[in-house]
Amino acid sequence: MSTMDTELSEISAFIQSIPPFDSLPKQVLAQLVRELTINYVRKNELLPPQGINEPRLYILRKGAISCLSNDSELIARLGEGDLCTAFCNKDIAQQDGISQVKTDEDSLVYSVSIDVLSDIGEKFPSISDFFSNDSAQRLKTKMSKVNEEAIMASTLMNTSVSNFYQSPVATIDCNKTIQQAAIQMTEQGYSCLVVVDGTNPVGIVTDKDIRRRCVAQGLATNQPISQIMTVDMCTIDIKNNAYDALMTMTAKHIHHLPVTKYGNLAGMVSVTDLINNEGHNAINLSSIIHKANSLNELKQISDLLPKLQIRLAKLGSSADHVGKSISAITMAFTKRLIEMAENKFGQAPVPYAWLAAGSQARQEQLAHSDQDNAIIICDSMKPYDDAWFENLANFVCDGLAECGFIYCPGDIMATNPKWRQPRKVWQKYFTDWVETPSPKALLNSSVFFDLDTIYGDKALLEDVRDKMLNSTKQSTLFIAHLSKNALGLRPPLGFFRDFVLRPNGKHKATLDLKHNGIAPVVDLARIYALAEGISAVNTIERIQQAAGTRSLTKASAENLIDAYEFLGMLRVEHQAKKLMRGEAPDNFLSPKEISKLEREHLKDAFKVIKTLQDARQSNF
Amino acid sequence: MTSAMIANNPLFNWLLGYETKRKKLLKRVPDGALKDFLSVPFPDLKTPIQQIPILSVDFETTGLDAKQDKLLSVGFVEIDHQQIKLNSCYHQIIKTKAQLEESNVIIHHITDEQKDRGEKLRIVVEALLKALTGKVMLVHFARIEKQFLQQACFELYGVIPPFPMIDTLVLAKRKLDKRDVAYDPSELRLSSLRHKYKLPEHHAHNALNDAIATAELYLAQTSKQRKKQQITLKDILL
Repeated sequence: MSTMDTELSEISAFIQSIPPFDSLPKQVLAQLVRELTINYVRKNELLPPQGINEPRLYILRKGAISCLSNDSELIARLGEGDLCTAFCNKDIAQQDGISQVKTDEDSLVYSVSIDVLSDIGEKFPSISDFFSNDSAQRLKTKMSKVNEEAIMASTLMNTSVSNFYQSPVATIDCNKTIQQAAIQMTEQGYSCLVVVDGTNPVGIVTDKDIRRRCVAQGLATNQPISQIMTVDMCTIDIKNNAYDALMTMTAKHIHHLPVTKYGNLAGMVSVTDLINNEGHNAINLSSIIHKANSLNELKQISDLLPKLQIRLAKLGSSADHVGKSISAITMAFTKRLIEMAENKFGQAPVPYAWLAAGSQARQEQLAHSDQDNAIIICDSMKPYDDAWFENLANFVCDGLAECGFIYCPGDIMATNPKWRQPRKVWQKYFTDWVETPSPKALLNSSVFFDLDTIYGDKALLEDVRDKMLNSTKQSTLFIAHLSKNALGLRPPLGFFRDFVLRPNGKHKATLDLKHNGIAPVVDLARIYALAEGISAVNTIERIQQAAGTRSLTKASAENLIDAYEFLGMLRVEHQAKKLMRGEAPDNFLSPKEISKLEREHLKDAFKVIKTLQDARQSNF
Repeated sequence: MTSAMIANNPLFNWLLGYETKRKKLLKRVPDGALKDFLSVPFPDLKTPIQQIPILSVDFETTGLDAKQDKLLSVGFVEIDHQQIKLNSCYHQIIKTKAQLEESNVIIHHITDEQKDRGEKLRIVVEALLKALTGKVMLVHFARIEKQFLQQACFELYGVIPPFPMIDTLVLAKRKLDKRDVAYDPSELRLSSLRHKYKLPEHHAHNALNDAIATAELYLAQTSKQRKKQQITLKDILL
């Protein structure tokens, strides 16, 4: 009897730790291991090792390898456990721009022939998918899996109906009149009653039935309720989860569902009950903020923000969802502070709007980021009116700071007179930025191309924005300058050992998710929007709307959204971990924090971003 | 002394060339695994290092004395053009009558139960001879493999065939001796040498793992010398 399985266990364990081989069953893994060849390559020698011409996949067991382009630019550096696909086939090396692979240290290299890999790939698509080398495709597969998991992990899936239903259920005898039902609903605050004959439920009636089947039909309200009730009542057993309840209601277009226990009526669940739970905290917080009467109360509520971010992250919410929820709450804080200010200083002398800039405007804010804001005022303002707006700005910005939204280090705040101006001045700002662009001025003003009205007269900003978009669409010079700035932030090449590998070949201990991942996508989306006259400011919306224009193909748009969502997900998870440890959330992700597979996906995301950045660059 | 006595005397083995010895024996042995092994010439001494066909071999035994102790398991793997080919790897536990001693089991992890399910010595030796045909045998610390293999052949066939060998321990020792600096003999252990060449940690005392570990060490040792003049089999042969 052969004991081969245990003999090559070390090599097997090593190979199994490397995605995609981690997905292979033991037996297939053993087959793969038996097909390996081991080479020892001295420092500063080239791969493939002498005498090997056929296409092979190389797996670095020990040592270090650099992949270089035609002009000796570093494309990737590989360490122990990394795969080198450059010799899998000619297309791959070409796609990646790799023309030379050289050892930086004495290296022990495993390799396997592509024929063996394709044989395995035929039976195990996870292998062939991985080596298809379409980084965009790999990322898409990953993100669709993430989205599925988010649904699976959502509270509704994991929570029983019993956590949501209201009990006891409100009932009414089938001989009572429609009017009596309406009175009962009004008095008890129900929009739905179960109609019973004795204790036996025979139907259900909602306020909508009274509207549609009684009042609209001219039916007398002294008729028995049984005339307008729905007879074939749909119910759900208490053992089901909340997600099933929601699906049943969606499918039948109903808003109320009686819950039964052992066949008896036990309670009632409504769509509103279920949906409120999903956004429970966000919606709750907003309404508490709205009711707050003092700055002190607001301050106390703001302490809950990090907790909300953790909860959202734990629920498996997408970064998009987290960003929108947190931004909505910042908006609620701002609105409440403005209302307090208006109470204190009296009504505004002329119409105005309070604007959010940057991440809040894009609805991509995370807990307690900087405040970026401005005020746009009606052109009818008189110079002395500014005193009122200055008071407003000081009150609101100080209030936000008290609530944990730190003052903008770049002084992009309504307290700065430069960013508290009438409409026509804003108009001129944009005209200057667009028509006589200078890279430096644009660097400081790009935040103003992401603006949203938080409070006040929306028309003021819309007017300025429409005119601005009209001119950006036509100004290639402006778009070129904007692109030049945006392309300054390049994603890293990948990882080497436990370090981040930068384009200059240097290593960094952490990845700056914000500046080297998320910001480049935000910048690209802004360029597409301004070039195409798209008024949306949210990054995903901008990319979606730019899809299929001359700026961005539909396929590239999807890839970019996948990359953006993946980076966002890592950021939300990273920040949740930090917040849970009671640390300040940041954007610095250590490669040690993430799995090998996540590193691969990150590399794929970097590639997608880099490709689109390069496309932008070659446009000019 | 008859020629047969000379041929069978290990002392004289090294006096005769391997090829001479091989041809002489070939005429005398009956058809079978040993004859097949002997009918293929060994690599020429002038073979450049990159082209030497090699079989890296390791034995686990019940002790150090080939006459008294038993061969427990055999592991080997081929090196072809300086590449270790895992598809050639082989590992087999041998069925022996000897009771295993506990102190020994701790080292090689072969239990009585595994041993009893093992293969007959003849079958394992024939597999080894077949794989060794036309190749040089690579080992770390040749004495064990050499003596146990010779003893096994003597028991099975009544003769002791020649086995050209490369010993990674001796390659390392020659290098250290050249430097004329005192060194600790423990530096010559397989694991120490692998560490020195920055090879990964390996699970020692399994015949196949050790054969692969020895093969990797050999590649590291010989790749270091490549830049100088062309090295041939003669330079590294035991």
